[in-house]
Amino acid sequence: MAAAATCSTGTRSTGSVVAAASRNSVTSFQRRGPRASGTDSGCSRLVSIAGTRPSVRNGQLLVSTGLPALDQLLGGGLAVGTVLLIEEDKYNIYSPLLFKYFLAEGIVTGHTLLVASAKEDPADILQELPAPLLDDNCKKECDEDIYNHKTESNIKMKIAWRYQLLPKMEARPVSSSRFGHYYDVSKRIPQELIEASKWHGFFLPEKISSTLNLEPCSLSHSYIKLLQFIQNIIYEEGFDGSNPQKKQKNILRIGIQNLGSPLWGDDICWTENCDSNHSLTKFLYMLRGLLRSSLSACIITVPTHLIQNKAIIARVTNLSDTVVGLESFIGSEKETNPLYKDYHGLIHIRQIPQLNNLIYDVSDVKDLAFKLKRKLFTIEHWGLHIRPI
Amino acid sequence: VTPSEGVRRGTRRILEMLESLLALGGLVLLRDSVEWEGRSLLKALIKKSALCGEQVHILGCEVSEEEFREGFDSNINSRLVYHDLFRDPLNWSETGETLPGGPLEALRALCRRTHPGPVTIALDSLSWLLLHLPCTTLCQTLHTLSHQDSCRGDSSPGEQVHVLGLLHEELHGPGPLGVLSSLAQTEVTLSGAMGQASAHVLYRRPQQRPTHQTQWFSILPDFSLELQGGPPLEPQPYPDPRVPSMDPTTHLTFNLRLSKKEREAKDSLTLPFQFSSEKQQALLCPGLGQATSHIFYEPDAYDDLDQEDPDDDLDV
Repeated sequence: MAAAATCSTGTRSTGSVVAAASRNSVTSFQRRGPRASGTDSGCSRLVSIAGTRPSVRNGQLLVSTGLPALDQLLGGGLAVGTVLLIEEDKYNIYSPLLFKYFLAEGIVTGHTLLVASAKEDPADILQELPAPLLDDNCKKECDEDIYNHKTESNIKMKIAWRYQLLPKMEARPVSSSRFGHYYDVSKRIPQELIEASKWHGFFLPEKISSTLNLEPCSLSHSYIKLLQFIQNIIYEEGFDGSNPQKKQKNILRIGIQNLGSPLWGDDICWTENCDSNHSLTKFLYMLRGLLRSSLSACIITVPTHLIQNKAIIARVTNLSDTVVGLESFIGSEKETNPLYKDYHGLIHIRQIPQLNNLIYDVSDVKDLAFKLKRKLFTIEHWGLHIRPI
Repeated sequence: VTPSEGVRRGTRRILEMLESLLALGGLVLLRDSVEWEGRSLLKALIKKSALCGEQVHILGCEVSEEEFREGFDSNINSRLVYHDLFRDPLNWSETGETLPGGPLEALRALCRRTHPGPVTIALDSLSWLLLHLPCTTLCQTLHTLSHQDSCRGDSSPGEQVHVLGLLHEELHGPGPLGVLSSLAQTEVTLSGAMGQASAHVLYRRPQQRPTHQTQWFSILPDFSLELQGGPPLEPQPYPDPRVPSMDPTTHLTFNLRLSKKEREAKDSLTLPFQFSSEKQQALLCPGLGQATSHIFYEPDAYDDLDQEDPDDDLDV
């Protein structure tokens, strides 16, 4: 036909474009730059580091806290360069658990660890980390605890039949780039994982020689030593980009235990008006400065129930980025309250940071409770609408 | 139960109480008050440790050495190593008998001891030390003292360090009491009623929930412990039990439980997306399905019912 003949020359060129487009994809739009593959580097601009992912809200690089439920409550994870403050429960049973989850996650994803404590030797802390669950059936293994092998037949999931045809995912190796792993609290982490990981320990009694004369200074001597130690590690290992990076970039996970207790040389737990009122707040300010300029994330546990001056607690909360408070029921009247009988305590998300954002994600539901089962630490909404996160 | 069996059980319980106080090791905090003094319990624990063959060091600050050693027989007295800070705490007499450096140096010397074996260190009293030493230094020294065995890797569980600290809780505010409670592995609060002393013991095992128990006791003149059943007229120890609380599962507008018939009906229900043989048949043999369904179409006024294919006009 005439129209077809006149268009023939034109169609040859357009035909080739159409043909080329149909070869590659459905549309004729070509994506410039390397094609993003995998779930790690969602954006090709960000460097892909194992165990991190960009936030869907503001593009911040996030690391997992070790508890996927807590990650979800914090808006995807802990942002790199921020501080997670855990307000300890009264008998200090559950906050070391969150501390250990954070460190165990660092070992599994291959991050470098820095553990600082005035009470326990960091090597002992690392020995007590929970063992990771490597299977993708780990969720089912945790559910076994819940149902106690009694009602297994009723709980068999009736999923849409199309999904039954999909192949099952095979178990991935330990150093996976998956975000958020499950851990078995009743088992210890295998020794070879600890030996394969890179960690630095700061045990205060070893670093501070007992000095008879204590010169009163605004920043406690122990805090100065700790800050210098952290700064050295960040500089020597290149977490702040100072050394030309021959090797791949990595995250430094810092864990500081029992900050603010008298074992660190701070007497805010002692009296209301003390000399070192500003010691801890200055330390947090300087620590945050170190973190913001390096690829690191920090977890700190503070015994806020011992701090006498409430204003200091408010300042410490403001100086940290994410604040999670643990309140255990042991010894309180809530222990016998039937409403709380299935749980061991309440967990309060006191603060979530606004990083490069105008708004921040606040969980709608404020009533969160936790329970330490034999293998797992679970966080749930308590009340009639009980569902795990 | 014969009388002798009862006595044996009683002595076992006595031993159990003292042993349980010393079982966890570390810092044992004895909180006493003016009404219910704790020095006799401290001496009972010292006697028990000395009889077990442990080395016993005493840092005496509040009472003189003669007064402290009173009541112990010579066997025990010979095993006690007494560091006297009462007579001349500031070393004014400069005779060289007292410990140079004061209480802090004395504590540090105890930290640096080189004799192997289990040891008990009694601090009489912690309150005196708190008033004379900066708090953070004292806490750090106490922590080093009570965790000495962990520094040396070759110690067996039997070679524990016990630090017994007597604390007068009326002298201190909530801050120091809270801090020392968190440092202690065992905390004994002395109280009583109707002339009968009781000890409320809180055990803080690491990584586990704390347990507590209350024991009524009395100390005999030779510093052995005798357990009592309780005061004759037991007052109400706790406030009234709360009003029977409401069961939240009553008066609901929905069903929380399923009866057997309802459960069977629920299980036999075929969900729309569940793959079953009927669905498979329906997919494989579409003809059968179409025979049973009809489409009824009522043309509207605006519908164009042109049966020709509009694409026929295209010249492609």
